[in-house]
Amino acid sequence: MILGDLLGLPVLDSDGGRLGKAADIRFVLDGAPHQLMSDARMLGIVVSPHSAASFLGYERTNLTQPWPLAHLLRWRHRGSFLVLWEDIALIRKDAVKLRPGFTRYSPALEDLGRGR
Amino acid sequence: MTSPELVPLLPVQGRILDAQLHLLDRQVLDHDGVPVTTVDDLELSGPALGEEIPQGTPAPVLDALLTGPVLGTRIFGGRPPSSRLIRIHWKDVADVGVVVRLGVGGEGLDASWVERWVRDKIIARIPGGRHDPR
Repeated sequence: MILGDLLGLPVLDSDGGRLGKAADIRFVLDGAPHQLMSDARMLGIVVSPHSAASFLGYERTNLTQPWPLAHLLRWRHRGSFLVLWEDIALIRKDAVKLRPGFTRYSPALEDLGRGR
Repeated sequence: MTSPELVPLLPVQGRILDAQLHLLDRQVLDHDGVPVTTVDDLELSGPALGEEIPQGTPAPVLDALLTGPVLGTRIFGGRPPSSRLIRIHWKDVADVGVVVRLGVGGEGLDASWVERWVRDKIIARIPGGRHDPR
C-alpha cells in the first residue's frame, strides 16, 4: 500500500462518525533488524480534527518559537490525537474506520523513542 | 499541548518516525553524500485497501521510499501509478535526520537514472564534457 493514499483520508469511528483526517502516520524502528536500520513498524495514525495535513508538527512537540507561528499552528491542529494500529478496523479508498472503544493517545513526540 | 482526555503513550523501544515530519520530502544522499533524489512517497507492506483488518494482525512495515514523476500530480492532484514510482528499499537506508542517508552508492540505484542518462547521452557529447573542468 502507498502511504500517500492513506494521508488525508477521513477517519471514522465504528458508528461512522467523523473524527478528523489522517494527518500523519507514525512508525517505530523496532522491527526485524537489518544491517543498517531496523524495520519501521507502523505504530498508528495521527488524526487531526480540523486539518488534513500536518505542518512542522508543532502540535506534537513542546516548541514555542516563533511564538505567532507556534500558536497559530497549534491552534490549527487542536484536538489532534494518535490511534494505534490495533484500533484500526478497515482502511478503505475513501476513509479509515476504527474499532469500537478505540483509545485516543497523545500525539506528543517528546520522551517517546528510546535508543536508536 | 496535550488535552487532559488523551492517554499518554507509553515509551516504546525504538526510534519514532512520523512520515510527514521526518521522511516525506527529505533529500536522499548516498553513502558518499551525493544527492540522489527526494522522498516523494512511502510504500507499506500492507494492508490491502478495503479489506477488514482482523484483530491481532501484525502492523505493516515500511518497505520502500518512493520517488518518481510527481510534479504534475502535486499540482493537479492524484499520484502517478505505482508502476511508475521508483523504489529505494528501506534496508538500504542508513540514517534519517535532516536528510535521509543511504548505506549504498547512488550509481546503481534506479532513482538516479535520469541524471546518468543526461550525463552519458548529452553532457558527454559536448566537447570537454568527459573530464573535470581545469
